[in-house]
Amino acid sequence: MSTEEQSGSSVNLQRRKILTGATGVVGATGATFLAVPFVSSWQPSEKAKAAGAPVNADISQLQPGQMLTVAWRGKPVWIVRRTPDMINGLAPLDQELRDPASEKSEQPQYCQNSTRAINSEYLVVVGVCTHLGCAPLYRPAIGSPDVGADWQGGFFCPCHGSRFDLAGRVFQSVPAPTNLEIPPHHYLSDSVIRIGEDATEGEA
Amino acid sequence: MSEFEKKENKAKQGTLLAWFDKRYPLVSTWNEHVGEYYAPKNFNFWYFFGSLALLVLVNQLVTGVWLTMSYKPSAAEAFNSIEYIMRDVDWGWLIRYMHSTGASAFFIVVYLHMMRGLLYGSYKEPRELVWIIGMLLFLVLMAEAFMGYLLPWGQMSYWGAQVIISLFGAIPVVGPDLALWVRGDFIISDVTLNRFFALHVIALPLVLLILVFMHIVALHQVGSNNPDGVEIKKIKNDKGLPMDGIPFHPYYSVKDSMGAVFFITLFAIVMFYMPEGGGYFLEPPNFEPANPLKTPDHIAPVWYFTPFYAILRAIPDKFLGVVAMGGAIAVLFAMPWLDRCKVKSIRYRGLSFKLLLTMFVVSFVVLGWLGTQPATPELTKLAQIFTALYFMFFLVLPFTSKNEKTKPVPERVQ
Amino acid sequence: MKKLLTILSLCILPFTATVQAAGGHGIELKPAQNNLRDQDSLQRGAILFSNYCMACHSVKYMRYNRIARDIGWTDDEVVSKMAYGQNRVVDTVETRMQDGVAMQVLGTNPPDLSLMARLKGTDYIYTFLTEYYQNEKGDWDNHVLKGTAMPNVLEGIQRHATPEEYEQAARDISNFLEYVGEPAKLQRLDMGWKVIAFLLVLLLLTYLLKKEYWRDIKH
Repeated sequence: MSTEEQSGSSVNLQRRKILTGATGVVGATGATFLAVPFVSSWQPSEKAKAAGAPVNADISQLQPGQMLTVAWRGKPVWIVRRTPDMINGLAPLDQELRDPASEKSEQPQYCQNSTRAINSEYLVVVGVCTHLGCAPLYRPAIGSPDVGADWQGGFFCPCHGSRFDLAGRVFQSVPAPTNLEIPPHHYLSDSVIRIGEDATEGEA
Repeated sequence: MSEFEKKENKAKQGTLLAWFDKRYPLVSTWNEHVGEYYAPKNFNFWYFFGSLALLVLVNQLVTGVWLTMSYKPSAAEAFNSIEYIMRDVDWGWLIRYMHSTGASAFFIVVYLHMMRGLLYGSYKEPRELVWIIGMLLFLVLMAEAFMGYLLPWGQMSYWGAQVIISLFGAIPVVGPDLALWVRGDFIISDVTLNRFFALHVIALPLVLLILVFMHIVALHQVGSNNPDGVEIKKIKNDKGLPMDGIPFHPYYSVKDSMGAVFFITLFAIVMFYMPEGGGYFLEPPNFEPANPLKTPDHIAPVWYFTPFYAILRAIPDKFLGVVAMGGAIAVLFAMPWLDRCKVKSIRYRGLSFKLLLTMFVVSFVVLGWLGTQPATPELTKLAQIFTALYFMFFLVLPFTSKNEKTKPVPERVQ
Repeated sequence: MKKLLTILSLCILPFTATVQAAGGHGIELKPAQNNLRDQDSLQRGAILFSNYCMACHSVKYMRYNRIARDIGWTDDEVVSKMAYGQNRVVDTVETRMQDGVAMQVLGTNPPDLSLMARLKGTDYIYTFLTEYYQNEKGDWDNHVLKGTAMPNVLEGIQRHATPEEYEQAARDISNFLEYVGEPAKLQRLDMGWKVIAFLLVLLLLTYLLKKEYWRDIKH
């Protein structure tokens, strides 16, 4: 009484097909749901999010021309207090820049302006070169010896020679493709900047 | 064979499959082990546990891999990292419970799988190697579970491991040095945890996988036993196929799928509504970080070790206790030769075997319960009695089984 | 089928008897009768915990924002109600006591309470909190844990509130500690039956499929 003997006309192939299909579909749905926890568990954990939570930077002690570095999500964020001269020196550079109006660069809406800042005196920028992720150097002095005599002050990446001005805007003919990234930030008070979140509604 | 050739010809027509098949025995492997593996048609409930064991193994491997992504194998961080998984990692709690529940499920399934072998004489000629490889699997699984249990680095993890490793110390002459060597330190420490982690996540799973492969190869070489203990290969039809056999696929693949879903449903009930398994799957003292200076009031190993643990405690001498415990496991290896009855299935065996097997199962369960209890003098006495009964099974069996009064075994499966 | 049921019941048997190994308490434990779904109780418990326990105990595996999310507070609320605005919402809940002070004052390090409910159970916590008494010498002791170094922190409530309010306070703390023991517990309970319902549908389908194929096989 092996199978061959019985598998005759009585087999309802239609029903078999439908049941196989239904079981397959429901089973696959289950497998998909089961995959969700495994995929989601790769998302940043609460601990990682906590480490990446917004940080406050106290700028009350920052002198004009000075730079302050704070860590946010493990990355350096620079806060440069620009002098009026530095700010005035930005506009003339527009011709030499790749993306002077920051159209192709990453920044919050409220920083897509000529000085790339909420308050033009303070530049807040992520200190990671947009080329391959090195940390550029702050070279505020005009004609800094390691950059060049025509240097107007800005950031210089030692890895592959990318140059950025004092608004983090990238110069032409260097490897970096876009301007330095501006993180979301807002002023909690005149002397405290909160980095990592946009101003909530109602706040100035 | 004609059927086989037909399928092979069919494969040659499909271009991609043919391309593969020329370079890799895809079709023939599938046919030999699934599509045309003929299994007896009378498998009952007991025959679900083999495929279920495989399912649980896959569960343990996948969830285990995911746990290692967040677990930290160091004395300072292990406990914290488990809580990190339980709280901070998205869905970490689910993955962890799947693994911890899976560990207990593994032993439930494997014990029932072994019980099936005892009921239907699946260890007998020609399946001795299937049984022995299976026993090796059981041994490695115990080692795997034991080392895995240290990883949460709770009080039970720590002191359970302490007790078990101290057993090595009972071995004459080399014992103390051996225990020291296993720990890699004077107490269970970071070093021990680290090496147990390596063995638990890499070495032993590899061995398990190889043994599972061998277990199946050996089984398919000789063919499956069945509840009647009849060799289906003896009676074949004119096509050379066993009259009482049916292809594994689709018949047993659909049946095992049903069994798998039923099992997963039970598994889900336990995992979602009693992940601590009443204090047996996750023991309450293990929610306290390991403290080498403070022993918990009552140390009991996880439930799946307790029958053997009870035997260990029943023997008043430390060394002999270890010997008895080891012997309780080792003697199972000899089952194919201790049981001298020609009849395989319990359905056609004599009263003596039925009584002996019942006695064995009862003593195993009672010892399991005793192992979870504190050792009072009365319970120790009880443990001694049931230890004696446990071994009695293996001592008496060779004599009673030789001239056992059996019922006539049918030619074909019923 | 009968055999199958017997086997199943045998499998379940060990779980019906819960482990009593935790025994050795001075007295019979009183049922905490807390309800994890009672968010008001959890919120009260969190505030009580902050006021009466956090001076010595931490729940270091919990973050403030997780507590807020789970028991129905905003991020600002949790910080003002539990941490007096001293912590960030992403911080873990640490004790306010400085390292080493407890050893000097109490002669022991108060344990972290994140897992106390899983270790001892809520009944233990509830009974422990409500079973302080003064011995002949007038010193405080505890029926559950004789000679405990922990002072009777709820003494103030015990004196100034009704017995019901006092018991409710202990219940709320126990409830909060049960939540803290396994913050995903409600999520687990709520999704379990959905998974099981889905599996039952799949079980029915696989059963029908099996039955359909096995019509080929005559016994």
